[in-house]
Amino acid sequence: MSTAAPAPARPGRTSPPSPPAQRGAGNTPVAARPGGTGGTLADALRDRLRSTPGRLTAVLAVLVLLGLGAGLASVIGVESRGGAVEETATHSGPLTVQAQLLYRSMSDADATAASAYLSGGVEPAALRSRYLADIDAATKALAALGASPGGATDAVRALNAGLPGYTGLVETARVYNRQNLPLGAAYLREASGLMSTSLLPNAQKVYQAETTALDTDRDSGGGVPWLALALGVLVLVGLIGTQRYLSRHTHRTFNVGLLTATAAGVVLVLWLGLSWTLSSVNLSEGKNNGSAQVKMLSDARIAALQARADESLTLVAHGGSGDRFDVDFGRKLAALDGKGGALDDAEQNADPATLDELRAVRNDLTAWRSRHKALRDNDDNGRFPLAVQAAIGHGDASTADVSADLDKRLGRAIDDAQGTFTARAGSAGDDLTGAGVGTGILAVVLLGGTVMGIQRRVAEYR
Amino acid sequence: MTVHGPHRTARRRRFRSLAGALGAVALLALAGCGAPATTGAVGPTGAPRPQDVQEPAHASPQPPDTSCNPRASLRPSGGLPSAGQMPAGSTMAKIAARGRLIVGVDQTTYLFGYLDSTTGQISGFDIDVANEMATAIFGDASPQHVQYKAISSAQRIPFLQNDTVDIVVDSMTITCERAKSVAFSTDYFDAGQRILVHKGSPIKGPDDLAGKKVCAADGTTSISTIAGLKAKPVPVAVKDWTDCMVLLQQGQIDAVSTDDSILDGLAAQDPTTQIVGPKFTDEPHGIAMGKNNDDLVRFVNGVLDRMRADGGWKAIYTRWLSRVGPTPEPPAAVYTG
Repeated sequence: MSTAAPAPARPGRTSPPSPPAQRGAGNTPVAARPGGTGGTLADALRDRLRSTPGRLTAVLAVLVLLGLGAGLASVIGVESRGGAVEETATHSGPLTVQAQLLYRSMSDADATAASAYLSGGVEPAALRSRYLADIDAATKALAALGASPGGATDAVRALNAGLPGYTGLVETARVYNRQNLPLGAAYLREASGLMSTSLLPNAQKVYQAETTALDTDRDSGGGVPWLALALGVLVLVGLIGTQRYLSRHTHRTFNVGLLTATAAGVVLVLWLGLSWTLSSVNLSEGKNNGSAQVKMLSDARIAALQARADESLTLVAHGGSGDRFDVDFGRKLAALDGKGGALDDAEQNADPATLDELRAVRNDLTAWRSRHKALRDNDDNGRFPLAVQAAIGHGDASTADVSADLDKRLGRAIDDAQGTFTARAGSAGDDLTGAGVGTGILAVVLLGGTVMGIQRRVAEYR
Repeated sequence: MTVHGPHRTARRRRFRSLAGALGAVALLALAGCGAPATTGAVGPTGAPRPQDVQEPAHASPQPPDTSCNPRASLRPSGGLPSAGQMPAGSTMAKIAARGRLIVGVDQTTYLFGYLDSTTGQISGFDIDVANEMATAIFGDASPQHVQYKAISSAQRIPFLQNDTVDIVVDSMTITCERAKSVAFSTDYFDAGQRILVHKGSPIKGPDDLAGKKVCAADGTTSISTIAGLKAKPVPVAVKDWTDCMVLLQQGQIDAVSTDDSILDGLAAQDPTTQIVGPKFTDEPHGIAMGKNNDDLVRFVNGVLDRMRADGGWKAIYTRWLSRVGPTPEPPAAVYTG
């Protein structure tokens, strides 16, 4: 693409720039070399920059600097964001699920223990195995959470100490219940009190810590790569400006090296922007239809479990101080399907399959309310055994059946939402993986092209 | 290779270090901040305890109120009406019209009022006495004729005052103080306060309780008595009697002190405990009713008289308390005029 020999007769233009005697302009010849001792550095630079090769070398220096900066910033940035996104998929995301599982298992264990007490004597095998499964799930979740650094370590420690204490009290209650001694009910009340004043609040703390970690990772993963974009744009501006300068001064419109570098720079900036856009779209969908959905559905599930425990505890209290449990029951169900309740929130971002489940959950809640009314009517009017039968038995009047169905449906919806979260986090990670390698290569091409393109011109001055 | 080689090398070195610094800055800027702060644990620490334990209790010693004779109650008027034929307009007629007698009881006092898990029903000495009342009104004590509401000691008087229950049969001591708020029947059980400790404990009586933690239920005469003892123990109040037992078994208190009848029930559940010391109070138990239901008081006293005379009281005592000792004579009835 080069045309004729370099254009002649430009004032100040010399051939080899080094011999100081050949410097033009009215300055005294500078005896010291560039980069020499103090005071003359500025003069040396100024003189240097007066010559075109000097200027070009300086421009090369700046462009290389900016290009290196852009390349490093984009590669390192993509790597770190990719790492944060992977954290959400492999670490903080699953740990949030474990924290919910912990809370849910302990709530269910408490509700099951109260139901088992109502059955009297030796509890039914189904309730016993459900209780044991809950304790097992809670212990496993606690182990997974304990292994994670930076969580709510004090709360996890308190849970590690308290959960065995809770199971010990429940077993003591069982022993006394088998001997038909009312001391058993006292140990059950103590266990339930430990659960609600210590274990569940600590589980709530752990959940909050894991959610905060997830949000932090998500924000890191979805952060705008400001520095890399800014440097990339600056490099492009510099490259275009250099090419215009060169094409004016050398009358050669195109410089292969610099063109290549500019093309690489444009692709780099675009790719960076695109990868950020795609990954942050995936991350935000992973939040709205994934982890945020999981949270709302889990809150709904736990409210239902607590309502179930309240229903049983009202019966266990046998009329004395049972009122406060029944009041709480109403409050928990209202938090579920009342206006602006957990179900309303969850329906906003639900997919069709989940919407069906949630509709069925609403039907279950209506059935539960009417069966609970009949149960309370029986208990308040002296038909205690009928009330207990409705609470723990099966059949048309059974609140156990309807609340178990509700729990299962919400469990399925939670699994769906968690699947969405994992898929979206995976996509976001994929968006970023390619970008890391790609922008690295493009940065190398950009640097290479810049150096090559400018050195060509500078070499012509030799 | 030009003359400026070394300078270019120097420049390149500077560029590299600058680029490194830039990269480090980029890394810091993009990597985000560190892990969230660790959050502390919440909730009570240490060994678990029952809920609602007051230590020390908010009980104050009641000075003995001798303004009345606690055992004196209203004389039954004439003969007892037959079951199903309550005098019109009487409290018993209203109960009969409702279809069931509502009785306030305890479901945690073994042998007197406790939930029997094999039958799913509340049973005990007090329950059998309440059943006698239901039988006198309805002819039997089947589940549709009598409803038990398990209430705490502190709820006994308020539930009578707002008519939540018709009568309270709950090892309730007759005192002149309480007689100002509710009406009592004649004495149907004599008890006295004693002390329950672990076997081998150095405590032998109320004088050994200096500084010791002694438990009783909130709102009872027992907790007030403990608060007023000369030896100055630390009174610990709980909601139900079995909570005292849990505290004793968990080593969090030194003794439980209340009516020997209640202590009999607690000791029967744990053979490593024993009752020590003399009876240091006099606790006649009465059935409590609403203050204005004189006709119900007379009716209940009539049923109790019948039980004293026809051996019903002794049968109930033998059924529940034979493990404690031989069956005594029922306490005599004392009437006001």
